[in-house]
Amino acid sequence: MALEDSGRVNFTNLRTERRARLFAAMDEANLEVLILGRTSNIHYTTGARLLWRSGVFPFAPMCIVVRSTEKTHLLSCWDDGIPPEIGREDLFGLFWNPVSLIAALRAIPGLVEATRIGTDSFTPSFSNFLPTFAGTSEVHDAAQLMTSIRSVKTNDEIACMVVATTVAEAGLTALEASLEPGISERTLLSIFNQTIAHHGTPTPPSESVVFVTDRQGPVRMRHLATDRALQEGDLVVLAPGAIYAGYEGGLARTRVVGGGSSPAIASLFERSSAGLDALISACVPGGSGEDLYKAWASTGEPVPTFALANGMGVGAEAPLIGFSRGETAILQEGSVLSVQSWVSTEGIGGVLNRELVRIGSRGPEILTRSERTS
Amino acid sequence: MHSDRMRLLQEQLEGHGLDGIVLLGSSGVAYATGAQTPADDSGRAGLFRSVAIVVKGDTDPFLYSVAWDGAPERLPSDHLFGPLFPDLDDGIDAMRDVIHQHFKLGSRVGVDEQTHPMLRALGDFEWIDARPVMSACKLHKTPDEISAIRAAQFMSEAAMDATRAMLRPGIRQTDLTATYLRNVTECEGTSLALDPIWQVMEPTRAANPWTTHGDLAYPTTSTDRILREGDIIWVDAGTTYYGLSSDFGRTWITSLHPTPTTRQAAQFEQWCAVVNAARSLAKPGVTGLELCRAGIAANDGVKPWLEHFYLAHGIGTDSAEMPLIGTDLGEQFDEKLVLEPGMILVFEPVIWDEGHGGYRAEDIVAITDDGWVPLSNNRYEPFGVTP
Repeated sequence: MALEDSGRVNFTNLRTERRARLFAAMDEANLEVLILGRTSNIHYTTGARLLWRSGVFPFAPMCIVVRSTEKTHLLSCWDDGIPPEIGREDLFGLFWNPVSLIAALRAIPGLVEATRIGTDSFTPSFSNFLPTFAGTSEVHDAAQLMTSIRSVKTNDEIACMVVATTVAEAGLTALEASLEPGISERTLLSIFNQTIAHHGTPTPPSESVVFVTDRQGPVRMRHLATDRALQEGDLVVLAPGAIYAGYEGGLARTRVVGGGSSPAIASLFERSSAGLDALISACVPGGSGEDLYKAWASTGEPVPTFALANGMGVGAEAPLIGFSRGETAILQEGSVLSVQSWVSTEGIGGVLNRELVRIGSRGPEILTRSERTS
Repeated sequence: MHSDRMRLLQEQLEGHGLDGIVLLGSSGVAYATGAQTPADDSGRAGLFRSVAIVVKGDTDPFLYSVAWDGAPERLPSDHLFGPLFPDLDDGIDAMRDVIHQHFKLGSRVGVDEQTHPMLRALGDFEWIDARPVMSACKLHKTPDEISAIRAAQFMSEAAMDATRAMLRPGIRQTDLTATYLRNVTECEGTSLALDPIWQVMEPTRAANPWTTHGDLAYPTTSTDRILREGDIIWVDAGTTYYGLSSDFGRTWITSLHPTPTTRQAAQFEQWCAVVNAARSLAKPGVTGLELCRAGIAANDGVKPWLEHFYLAHGIGTDSAEMPLIGTDLGEQFDEKLVLEPGMILVFEPVIWDEGHGGYRAEDIVAITDDGWVPLSNNRYEPFGVTP
């Protein structure tokens, strides 16, 4: 990725602010130690440039935060890509042998005697493992703590998300330039991957970037790019994203292959935009997930089978508003949602639009810029 | 492939006295269900994760996923459902209901991860660490799995040929990534597994990044660093094909006309000698320790692999999995590790020539009934081929 220790964002301040939030939250929750295994939480806590791997891996202690020493300890054999506030003495190596790992963890000042420990996840064997290097076998929920401190974004965090969105929009431009009958979803995805890599940010938030919507039978959102070739008149969904300095940006647009239209297609575009506008107007401080469900229902569209919105920041995050979840979620001023509107008509196809929306003090602020098809 | 895996899973459930298994991690879900999911960043892959449930006695796994289009065609429709969101308290009742449908109260169930909402809502069961079950299932590959690994490797190698052709002074590491992804993503069934590595190796240990153990740092993350004439880069990349991983490792020289020096050519020869020494022994009944000793002997008594890694690792739905040979688990562990048909070994020795850099590459074999077959090609441009 493009180096995140340079550019127009003050990354030193960014990390300082994140650490201050973290320690304040630990004080409030009366936690002496955090043990983190989730990549996004580790990135938020450390700002370290870690090797990106797709997917989600079972919990293991990768990052240890000790309140009394205000130190952050990280599993890394080297200091390349590690911010300066994490000293060499704060790194612990990669071990396959649990005996060596335990010894390395026991050497972390403040951990052996700690009894109030929070983790962001758990495994059945962790309750036996924990007392070998800490003063307890009991853990507290630090996943909620991480969710809550990550929710409201600072100006520097928003700047990172805007940079990521700009790269995603460059990806959209490359996809649009290649939209011709005969090209496959796969080739479009590979052009997108190539484009964001040339911009210095090669790790996509998702490979769910391109799908042709069906013109026969039920129209459903698809997630995997296939060898299917685009045909003149197909409605094709383009949903590019990008990650900059750990922060995700992205959007979705739908285009007609060959650029033509019809009254039925125009109606789909209008419905999708009306749905999205209704959702965005509900993105106000103090609003709730229920408000988004109501806004969607007010458009007359069927009950959504997709996520109306999810939080965004260091990747996708809570709240999730959709799949019958998130009705009671409260929209916090300064948080960011990815909001989307999917409509379809059998025999015609479907239209997806997605925007990144900041919950501003005076109402919703749209961070994405590309034109929707009207 | 899927029926073989279900048979292995059922055998292991029986052997471990489990009533079933619940899998939340990408690798476990891919193994148990054969489902494809788009490669997602960990945040998205977590929040929108797929969950697999295998019930003792059932011939098919249950899949709970957003990505309905990635479910294998053979999965019965009454085994495919929408997502469960185990990371959220909101709606955890739905997951609780599902677990109760599959398992009686008090059942012994394997699980690879327990989120805090699961800890709060699913206390009525005896949860057991799923790792021993998964590890045992994945240790031996079926013929179909070996074919898929070979196919994954073939696609990755083809994309690497195109990428190496782009290598020249002035190009950025992320530009190499762009070319690799442009080529490998074209192939249906492939998915991005990790950010490809193009690490520049300086000639001395001191000039390379500081490490906790004093050995070399590898692999470090690629950036928009510009490559210069003569830069030695250690390449490592992996993509998956229908869930099975590839692993490409080579040493390249940054130049329009890359020509190894005599010293660099000797490093490559030494690397070949180590791989050949270990590989020539590889067959059922041989221990990991014997391979390690052969590798060390071929390197004049010096351990030819990185302190934090191994001489060889397995590969499957994880990019590195058992068997691990030469780790800090020690000689006793390696001695107990006896090669068996169906195991995969990715040899990744490192030859270091202090003051003159070094050579690293990867060579993949599958253990057969009486020896091994190669799963990676034997071209090591610009150095040559292995015998």
